[in-house]
Amino acid sequence: MEALLQLSGVSKQYGKGSQLFHAVSDAAFSIYPGETFGLIGESGSGKSTLGKMVTGLEYPTSGSLLYQGSPLWNGKKFNRRKPGEMQIVFQDPQSSLDPRMKVQDIILEPLWALPADERRQKGSTERLHALIARVGLKPEHLPRYPHEFSGGQRQRIAIARALITDPTFVILDEPTSALDVSVQAHVLNLLKELKRERGLTYLFISHNMAVIRYMCDRMAVMQKGRIVETGTVEDIFKHPQEAYTKTLLSSLPSLHKENASLHA
Amino acid sequence: MLLTIKDLSVEFSSMQQTVKALNHVSFSIDQGEIVGIVGESGSGKSVTALTILGLLDNNATIKNGEILYKGRNVLQLHKKEQQSLRGKQIGMIFQEPMTALHPTMRIGDQLAKVIHRHREIAYKEAYRQAVLSLAEVKINEPELVARKYPFELSGGMRQRVVIALAMSAPPDLLIADEPTTALDVTIQHEILKLMKELAEKRGTSIMLITHDLGVVAEVCQRVVVMYAGEVVETGTTDEVLAHPVHPYTRALIGALPDLASPDQPLHAIPGESPDLRNLPSGCVFAPRCDRALPLCREDHPVLEPVPGSRDASTGTHQVACWVR
Repeated sequence: MEALLQLSGVSKQYGKGSQLFHAVSDAAFSIYPGETFGLIGESGSGKSTLGKMVTGLEYPTSGSLLYQGSPLWNGKKFNRRKPGEMQIVFQDPQSSLDPRMKVQDIILEPLWALPADERRQKGSTERLHALIARVGLKPEHLPRYPHEFSGGQRQRIAIARALITDPTFVILDEPTSALDVSVQAHVLNLLKELKRERGLTYLFISHNMAVIRYMCDRMAVMQKGRIVETGTVEDIFKHPQEAYTKTLLSSLPSLHKENASLHA
Repeated sequence: MLLTIKDLSVEFSSMQQTVKALNHVSFSIDQGEIVGIVGESGSGKSVTALTILGLLDNNATIKNGEILYKGRNVLQLHKKEQQSLRGKQIGMIFQEPMTALHPTMRIGDQLAKVIHRHREIAYKEAYRQAVLSLAEVKINEPELVARKYPFELSGGMRQRVVIALAMSAPPDLLIADEPTTALDVTIQHEILKLMKELAEKRGTSIMLITHDLGVVAEVCQRVVVMYAGEVVETGTTDEVLAHPVHPYTRALIGALPDLASPDQPLHAIPGESPDLRNLPSGCVFAPRCDRALPLCREDHPVLEPVPGSRDASTGTHQVACWVR
């Protein structure tokens, strides 16, 4: 099967001279259609920078990013073959929604990147209502402003905004780490269902091992800008190879002390 | 008992509206005990901490109840007496270590000032003890770190400094409000271990406020589960996590992704947290509860010992629910 997204030798450096900082060094992995690929690491490990490079919010210093076989970054600019094909949901729904826009305008905004006829077709009222109903919002929410919503509802708005363009590939950058556990459960279940219904492919960035275990098929572990381990989630959880992965697993607080052997 | 909270109710008023933040909350913390206060946003766990410390805003009113600290009701103390309680007898650790530290004062001086004041010793001696206390929270090269500013330290290091500050008096009770939420998992693990060690060594009691049941399982002996400003279940950590009785506690445990069985869908709690301005007359959880009876919507349940519990003899496992 052809990889949907293929990264090889991707690096990102900030600053220069003595201030040179390697945010991401030589990252390589492939994401296949229909899978959820987890990227785990602590703060400063470069996982969000990597996510930004995939979406084109940051450009790589070196390396290649192939999306469906064609390069995303040619050394000068990003080539988006089709706008709205790749979408992102950010960590903090407090700051990722424009406080001065109404929910309806926020959700429909990505469509402005599309050609006019496609925009009209995808932005139809029926489609919008179906989408917001699917993510658990109501039509009466549309004329309201973001501040009137709880954290979980705001993240639903952000998910609807990402899905309005019918993307193939969605990057989820810590989508639930700002939410309460019961709300997190709602959002994770929703994301899983949406993936199944729409045949989406996810890049799921998180620092929470349990969430990665629940959501992902394959994963990569990042430490200090490098990918130290890649594999299926099951393999990594059962037989972690790297010392760092083992530390991450053993630090996870668990309700079941008797299962401690699972993450020893 | 070191701290006993009896029937505490707190309200906030603003623009002709009343927010009932705490409703008849009762629990206690014994000498040397680590008690977890668990709940989601709006459950009243932080308001409880602020009430104990006398740090509530002006728009808050204490409607009812008492807080006994070493037998004295802290709610009736004068401002001055309350101030001597804060920091000296009851230490506090906040969630965000960056905002808890003075940004333009060196670490050593921040600590020395507090020690100078609480232990009533000369500043030079206080500074020496400040360096020692940094070593005690396992900071390498404490002399060097003492000369640094908060922005030069990582989140985990800063939280260690905050712990050293809170423990400097040294207090008998430490209130920690989500002390590890802003930190990475590996650092969280170390900080929790450190807090547990310090508490054991000095016999300090800890009231650990968290939304993470995993953290509770790791360090707390007892747990108090709060929902919408009420205590809905309490008991020993082992008993409550192994045999939760209240539907909310069960749901909270079910909502956690479980490493052992990743293929089961997470148990999400339907509906939204209740509006604290307009609480239901019956059980506060009834509108979201999947086992609610007609009685639940009419009558308010109170905390009562769980009959069939393993801890039945002591009556420590208590739940506020009609469907037991």
